[in-house]
Amino acid sequence: MVDGFRPVTLQETLNIRSQYNCTPIAGGTDLMVQKARGFALKPGFEQPLLFIGHLPELQKIVIKNNQIHIGSGLLLTDLLNSEIIPEIFKEAVRLMASPPSRNLASIGGNICNASPAGDTLPYLYAVDAKLVLKSVRSERLVSIGEFITGPKQTALGQDELLTEIIIPNKIFNVNYYKKVGQRKGMSLTKAVFLGMTDIKNDNLTDIRIAFGSVSPKIVRSREIERTIVGKPTFEMITAIPEILAKYALLIRPIDDARSTAVYRKKVSLRLLEDFLRKIDKEK
Amino acid sequence: MRESISKPIQRVDGSAKISGEAKYIGDMHFENMLFAKTLRSSRVKAKIKSIIKPELPEGYFIVDKDDVPGFNRMRTVVSDHPLFAEDNVEYIGQPILLVVGPERETIYDIITHISIVYDDLEPLYTLEEAEAKSTVFTDYHYDKGEPDKAFAVAVTIIEDEYHTGYQEHVYLEPQGMAAEYRDDTMFVYGSMQCPFYAEGALTEALGWDAKRIRVIQTVTGGAFGGKEEFPSLTACQVAVAALKTKRPVTLIYDRDEDIICSTKRHPSIVRYKAALNQNNDVIALDVDVLLDAGAYNGLSPVVLQRAIFSVTGVYNYLHLKVRGRNFMTNNVPSGAYRGFGAPQTIFGTEMLMHNIALKIGVDPLDYKMRHMLRRGDPTCMGGKIRDIVKLPEIITRVTEMSDYRNKVQNNVKYKGIGASLFLHGCGFTGNGEQTIQGKIILKKSGENVILKVSSTEMGQGAETVLRKIVAYSLDLPIEKVLCEAADTGLVPDSGPTVASRTTMIVGGLLRQACLELKDRWDEAEEFEVSRSYKHPDFLNWDNDTFQGDAYPVYSWGANVAEVEIDPVTYEINVKKISAVYDVGMPIDETTLRGQMQGGIVQGVGWATIEVMTTDKGKLIQKNLTDYKVPTSMDIPKIDCEFVSNPYEFGPFGAKCAGELPFVGAPPAVVAAVSNALNVPIYSIPITPEDLMEMDSHEN
Repeated sequence: MVDGFRPVTLQETLNIRSQYNCTPIAGGTDLMVQKARGFALKPGFEQPLLFIGHLPELQKIVIKNNQIHIGSGLLLTDLLNSEIIPEIFKEAVRLMASPPSRNLASIGGNICNASPAGDTLPYLYAVDAKLVLKSVRSERLVSIGEFITGPKQTALGQDELLTEIIIPNKIFNVNYYKKVGQRKGMSLTKAVFLGMTDIKNDNLTDIRIAFGSVSPKIVRSREIERTIVGKPTFEMITAIPEILAKYALLIRPIDDARSTAVYRKKVSLRLLEDFLRKIDKEK
Repeated sequence: MRESISKPIQRVDGSAKISGEAKYIGDMHFENMLFAKTLRSSRVKAKIKSIIKPELPEGYFIVDKDDVPGFNRMRTVVSDHPLFAEDNVEYIGQPILLVVGPERETIYDIITHISIVYDDLEPLYTLEEAEAKSTVFTDYHYDKGEPDKAFAVAVTIIEDEYHTGYQEHVYLEPQGMAAEYRDDTMFVYGSMQCPFYAEGALTEALGWDAKRIRVIQTVTGGAFGGKEEFPSLTACQVAVAALKTKRPVTLIYDRDEDIICSTKRHPSIVRYKAALNQNNDVIALDVDVLLDAGAYNGLSPVVLQRAIFSVTGVYNYLHLKVRGRNFMTNNVPSGAYRGFGAPQTIFGTEMLMHNIALKIGVDPLDYKMRHMLRRGDPTCMGGKIRDIVKLPEIITRVTEMSDYRNKVQNNVKYKGIGASLFLHGCGFTGNGEQTIQGKIILKKSGENVILKVSSTEMGQGAETVLRKIVAYSLDLPIEKVLCEAADTGLVPDSGPTVASRTTMIVGGLLRQACLELKDRWDEAEEFEVSRSYKHPDFLNWDNDTFQGDAYPVYSWGANVAEVEIDPVTYEINVKKISAVYDVGMPIDETTLRGQMQGGIVQGVGWATIEVMTTDKGKLIQKNLTDYKVPTSMDIPKIDCEFVSNPYEFGPFGAKCAGELPFVGAPPAVVAAVSNALNVPIYSIPITPEDLMEMDSHEN
């Protein structure tokens, strides 16, 4: 039996991927925990591992055509050290796990883990990130929303590899990010809210709103966002009840070991309200 | 004359721990060592109908109740926990058998192929259900004064009920034990607080004389009570396995396994009836304490004793009626945890006083100060407060440090400040010290002195403190004072390392022995001096009626906590704790500060983020992903000071210290949260989920 592969190049990696059923692994901060058996035993992986964290092709971060291309093998720490990653995205990354985990965990891993509580996801949904999926036979571009099909479920083909994440090289005027955890550090998310907006001449020209941990997938509604865009900022306060009511229908959290459905829903809507009130104050 | 003993020195155990040289149980290797893994009950309460075992490969063993040569029970206060389950299982995680062998993978495979046929029985899930069904393990009562008369003449009667939750110890390394049978002796090594507890348990499990048993503590990275009685269970299991297999056996838990099956702080319900006179002062208290002991009683009776002996906190109520009960439920057994029952009742009483003050419109701190104990006052059990109570000085200082008076008057919503007053009875409860009769030996060996005690270093600084007491008493450099290993074959039984007794009781014995050794120093190159505990004549205690001096002396303290509540999320941000303590005299101020900071942080955790609950006998927060203790980012600014109040019978005046800070922090933090949102709080941990709900009702 083959325990694992450690290819040297991306091309070699894709070849292996096309020939074997295997599990790509970068830092392993999610996979090693999910497959742990305890008792100092090796984790119980059903398939051979394909080590990709070291591949040089996955370590680049560049701006092309006003888009930021992020290699999927980049560590969370690399994102924090980068000068071109937008600050609000860094804020999300900074509140993830602990420094040792951030020195191991890759951005690609956090996306492919497809957790409803994945901390990079609200931002990626909000900016409609595009993912590059490569295989020996093809290369395709899918949006983050298409890629994640459910909790722990993705559209990644058996021979494909997530190689790159593409986000716009853009910073919004107003940025709001709040992760609610059980404690201040090293905590999984009870609920997370991200809001970004552009304001020109007292009018909202763009708005992005995303909620995490409160639904099987990240909640983002372009439809509701479209109804807000174009409004003057001074009308935000009066629009709040209607906007909250619309999002309330989409937020369907659960009770679990970390929090309650009631709290998650309330806190999400309160964060949204707080964000909308802040817009009202922006001129 | 030497500098004050309080002046800090470098921790004697520091460099080995920092460099990684220290050998924890997981670092121990024996020739031909076998590994053991526990098969546990998956049922809350059931009869074991049959156990279907696969054929074992050569060199692999199953160790169960039939292999125990002696008594299949873990010896403690109430020896009711089977080492290996017999006919029934009483909680999820109860050990049934061990699979032992040379390869971990094979052991794992054997475990997964053992099937147990259960016949489920009707379990008891909660304290409330247990009360309804009266599954009482222990039922204690005591009175003071004439409570019935006092209630009959009361102007106002206030009734309140307070709840506290589980708490997991989260010591650095999970439980671990190894046993080696050689030279007709059973050697047991492990992470533990009380080697002689384990030795006592082994004598019964093996049916052997203690001479054939040696228990040796390995470096222990924290215990907090979690390694008081529980290691006796694993010590017996692993010794039985070593005896059966004739090979050394190690049994080391994973964290997740440890959390599921190890003891925790007792969940509690404390019900109060307070009789108030025309001045709104409490003249009588009727208290009913309920603890969830879990499936076995174990040492819970003694936890219950400290709980009910602490119900009056620092207050002098003239009349009292106290009842305490341990209940049997089908939850994981509760056990020792820093504070040992006192945190539950001190929390209740502090919040009761806080909430009465709010009802009658008085500042809670002022209201509490109207009831404080003074020197000469009787204790709740009819003993006596013999030493000066320095609470007035402590309160003055802590209110200055925190600017309490100013801040409490300029209260803004979402910002809160709260104070707690507290004490802790030093040393064993009741006649514990007389029963244990702790013994110590000092050996002069040339220029060196070797101290022989069974008190264990478990991160709290015991070795530094004890060596320092000897070094200062004999005027020797600390390097000349050595400490024998905590090995029951080499040291006398100084009693367990529990109940904040090590510095005061064991350190006190060492100090006395030093005085003799100093006198006789030139007698010979090598000789020993020993001391055994003698109960001071002035202390009286009747363990049947609970009357007299339950403790020889008390340590005292006051905390002021400042919090901010996030107005959107209701997250609790503990900003600052100001703390002033009277522990007699600090033996090493840095070590002591470490204890105080650690106790505060653990107390803040218990009061706020450490949510641990069960659903039908199953722990919901059963790993460190879901059960959270404070990180360095959650720790508030801590300002800590000490007032000097030397205790005549303590070494250099020292009293107890280790548990005191834990007791004080929760009521201060909760009082501050209550102040921030102007809501009464009756239950901890208090979470953002609760606060959001309370505040929305308030609006």
